[in-house]
Amino acid sequence: MLTYVLRRFLVAIPTLWGVATVVFIMARLLPGDPARVIAGVLATQGDVDRIRRQMGLDQPLPVQYLDFLGSLLRLDLGRSAHTNAPVLEEIGSRLPYTIELAFVALVVAVAIGILAGVTAAVRRNSKTDLIISSLSVFGISMPVYWLGLMLIIVFAVGLHALPAAGADQPTSIILPALTLALFSVGLIARMTRSSMLEVLGQDYIRTARAMGLGSGSVIFRHALRNALLPIITVIGLQVGSLLGGAVLTETIFAWPGVGRLLIDSIFFRDYPVVQGLVLMFGATFILVNLLVDLLYAYVDPRIRYS
Amino acid sequence: MSIRASATAESLGATALEPEVAAAVGPSLALRRLLHHRSAAAGLGVLGVYILAGLLGPLLFPFNPAQNHLVDVFLPPGRPGHLLGTDNYGRDELLLILNGMRYTLSLGLLAVAIGLVVGVPLGAISGYFGGWVDIVIQRFTDVLLAFPSIVLALALVAGLGPGLRNVVIAVGVSSVPAFIRLVRADTLRLRELAFVEAARALGAPPARILLRHVIANALAPVIVQATLQMGFAILVAAGLGFFGLGVQPPTPEWGELLGEARNYIFSDPKLATFPGLAIFGAVLAFNLVGDGLRDVLDPRLR
Amino acid sequence: MRTKLLALAVVGGLALAACGNGTTGTPTGGSKQGDTLRIAIGVDPDTMDPMRQTTTTIQNIVQMVVETMVKIDTSGKVQPALATAWQTSSDGLTWTFTLRSGVKFSDGQPFNAAAVKANFDRVLDPASTCPLCGPMRGVKSVDVVDDTHVKLNLAKPIAPMLGLLTEVTFGIVAPASIQKGGSTYSDQEKPIGTGPYTLAERVKGDHVTLQRHDGYWGTKPNYKSQKFLIVPEAASREALVRAGQADVILLPPVSDLPALQRDSTVKVLLAPGDRTIFMAFNTQDSQQTLLQKPEVRQALNYAINKDQIIKSVLFGAASPMDAPMASTLFGYCKVGSYPYDVSKAKSMLQAAGASNLTINLVSPQGRYIQDFQAAQVIANDLTAVGVKVNGPRTMDWPSYLGTINVAPAKASVDMHLLGWAPGYLDASQAMVQFQSTQWPPAGLATSYYQNPEVDQLLAKANSESDQSQRATDYCTASKQIWKDAPWLFLWVQRFPIVYSSKVTGVQSIPNESFYTMYASPA
Repeated sequence: MLTYVLRRFLVAIPTLWGVATVVFIMARLLPGDPARVIAGVLATQGDVDRIRRQMGLDQPLPVQYLDFLGSLLRLDLGRSAHTNAPVLEEIGSRLPYTIELAFVALVVAVAIGILAGVTAAVRRNSKTDLIISSLSVFGISMPVYWLGLMLIIVFAVGLHALPAAGADQPTSIILPALTLALFSVGLIARMTRSSMLEVLGQDYIRTARAMGLGSGSVIFRHALRNALLPIITVIGLQVGSLLGGAVLTETIFAWPGVGRLLIDSIFFRDYPVVQGLVLMFGATFILVNLLVDLLYAYVDPRIRYS
Repeated sequence: MSIRASATAESLGATALEPEVAAAVGPSLALRRLLHHRSAAAGLGVLGVYILAGLLGPLLFPFNPAQNHLVDVFLPPGRPGHLLGTDNYGRDELLLILNGMRYTLSLGLLAVAIGLVVGVPLGAISGYFGGWVDIVIQRFTDVLLAFPSIVLALALVAGLGPGLRNVVIAVGVSSVPAFIRLVRADTLRLRELAFVEAARALGAPPARILLRHVIANALAPVIVQATLQMGFAILVAAGLGFFGLGVQPPTPEWGELLGEARNYIFSDPKLATFPGLAIFGAVLAFNLVGDGLRDVLDPRLR
Repeated sequence: MRTKLLALAVVGGLALAACGNGTTGTPTGGSKQGDTLRIAIGVDPDTMDPMRQTTTTIQNIVQMVVETMVKIDTSGKVQPALATAWQTSSDGLTWTFTLRSGVKFSDGQPFNAAAVKANFDRVLDPASTCPLCGPMRGVKSVDVVDDTHVKLNLAKPIAPMLGLLTEVTFGIVAPASIQKGGSTYSDQEKPIGTGPYTLAERVKGDHVTLQRHDGYWGTKPNYKSQKFLIVPEAASREALVRAGQADVILLPPVSDLPALQRDSTVKVLLAPGDRTIFMAFNTQDSQQTLLQKPEVRQALNYAINKDQIIKSVLFGAASPMDAPMASTLFGYCKVGSYPYDVSKAKSMLQAAGASNLTINLVSPQGRYIQDFQAAQVIANDLTAVGVKVNGPRTMDWPSYLGTINVAPAKASVDMHLLGWAPGYLDASQAMVQFQSTQWPPAGLATSYYQNPEVDQLLAKANSESDQSQRATDYCTASKQIWKDAPWLFLWVQRFPIVYSSKVTGVQSIPNESFYTMYASPA
């Protein structure tokens, strides 16, 4: 097990390095002079040159690249061009909100998604299956930014029932979390359904049923457990789409997380923060999926030796 | 990240495809089955209506989105001459949506085309040659996959600047890895099969083997993936438009219309409702057709 | 809510010598006490440091915590604040301020001349980041005369000194918090001032909360706290006030103004502003030389249906311009109008040999009220008089400034939409737009307007010590500018504020500022 864990870690490192490199290249390819952008419209050439030196932008590219990697290792992402605070601090102060939102959305999505998926699989080709399957396709086809607007129109404007924006009330999280969860609900339900169908068709389930085990017990103790592996994978990958969805959802609901920070920073041309956030999104995804891989190996020992 | 983590999952949740079964189904049979597949037929129907309306609408009713009529702003739906009412410039909402159709559909189409043109050969090369080529391409794919599509597209458009071409590039790049993963998995399997080995033994050049034997036989899952990816590309592209980073006004791209309608969700909620519904319908149609194609080409999951 | 664009070098020899009478501005709301006033704003503060802040709305918040030497009241007049009286020497090179005594910072330290000196030393330190300090750079040194008197020594006269001092940039924070070398010298996260509120809490991206300062020297506010909710979407802000989750909101979606005005649960304040919205011609245009002719530019001014646009596109949130500056400024006089007249525009164009005019036109989007929407209609109106219009094109704000803020030789567009708002209400700041010394890259006079007579009048007015003569000079210059038409004169933007009818005393200051200091429950 230990060697497996180590090996997985070692594979993740070049990917993280690749993510950092892509971010570095993207930041350098951007048109315009970052130093001028940071200095602001009214800055003099002297200001721009000073900032360029401070940021090391007067150095040759390979030196900049090594500096960049070096400061990453020290977890130094530079300072925001907009607020002048360290990028890490900017991200750090917003991250709890995104984690809260993504976590609630994920719990909702997993609970509803698995239940719906199992139900659809067990009652395969029934009316229930048809309804659940249709709703799942609807879910993954729904533009989250549109859904968010519609929910605001109905629940905040029409019914005055829930806050339209912000994070300062206990009920504030309901609409953004629902919006964010919907896409994942559809995905998880579809995945669970097909995964369950596959398992339910296998010999040992038929045997278990033949041996007279109750169907509830068969479904949850045997079938679901075996169907769980691919579902865990999808959930791991959901972290990526949840973070992506958070960008849209947070902006619509004025939720003060990193997603909205990304949009704001793009509009402010706050390159250090955009760079830091893109890096963070990439790294989070890699690390979460590393965890999923390890979890996978723990649940299914065969993986380790393959 | 491991190869097992299917690239398609983020966007589609598609299960791994089993192309050997697919290869057994001929194109005409597949089409016939598709038309009998209830949801796929519905999807095809919706797409047909979209394409027809998107082509005919602008032809029959000439329309200049830059032209406004300030005396007729915010008319409710159902007024004579304005079936869906008018927007904040007094432009006919229905004509706006009909005219926006080609932008939204071609955005999706071009983005997926980039994904195909770049992703399919890379996937085939990666799987066929193996070794360090494979490792490099796979690590590259891992890196691209690590960014949520919308974040990658946003970052690219933020750098490249808004506009039709840059949106296509941004969304196209973010759909590349899914195709690499898919084709690579198939290639790994196909290259061990007798007919590929025979071609190799006969001294056929690798490019020819890849094109005629590998890619040709991996087409079915690629078609399924491309269809589903269309829906996703439209979602992402319209998302960029929603933030004002996509196609610029007065071009009536649906995402852009929706983004602008955000200012009017109280005074005129229909302006946010219709473009959103149009995007939803298009994505839904592609997903339904994609599901149907998968069922037809891969009967095991039917 | 937009960043102020301040001209960097406003030089003049005039001192607005006046003596304060010691009044402190009258509280305006009712007297009922309240718990928390919730105000939804659109911008997330980048910093709370008065020295670094450049956005009006955030400055307004900081102003409730950090007081200035003098302040602008709700009618736009300068009033004493921390300084009760002031004198200037005849050469305009020294200013002496008498300070209010018995004032304490919220941390208990006394406010005195040393505190004023410490603050000026900080903002004028070349190592400090102070984007709006430019016009104050003429201050050479600051002397403490005694505990309640402070003297500013100038290298050259600064005409709009009092106006400048109303800016929170030059507000006074507790000296202990800005000791040189200390961690809060360069950046104040939580400034401590003498104001009626203290900064209690700030959650980035979500809210800023102010708590009443019970030791305040002046009239105490009615609300125990004021909480600013950061809600970037205009529609979301509207939802909050309609649902009763916010008491006051700034800048609702303008299209909803008519509906909000009908809604009895809220009140709409279309506050007068000082921001002129115009379309600058490139008056030195080498690609479209016809635009160098004043007759062509006048003709195009007649082609725009301003009233209709204000009604249908801006929903009444503006008034048509009748001078090259807003009526709220010192030095304004009503000059005239270019009434909408298509046939007149056409015949003037024909007479000037410009019947086949082609113009490319750009506009920002989301910077000013309905900016791009208005630009589209303007393009329509221009087309209607036979002009071939390429555009309007739009781009993000930094690229936009990069396009228009260039030397005349590099100019690539014929017309561009822009808004201009003086930070303090004096014509000198508005008129830099018409000084040939202010052409980019030196300034932001992006129409490249040049008229020697106007240049001379403005230079004179900026150094004139007789206030009425100064006003006359500005008026004369305005008339000439209006005739030369370097702009498509459009409108002066209003600053819409919506508040619950359960609240009273919500006011504004005519420089796009809200004033909720003395609001109270209705």
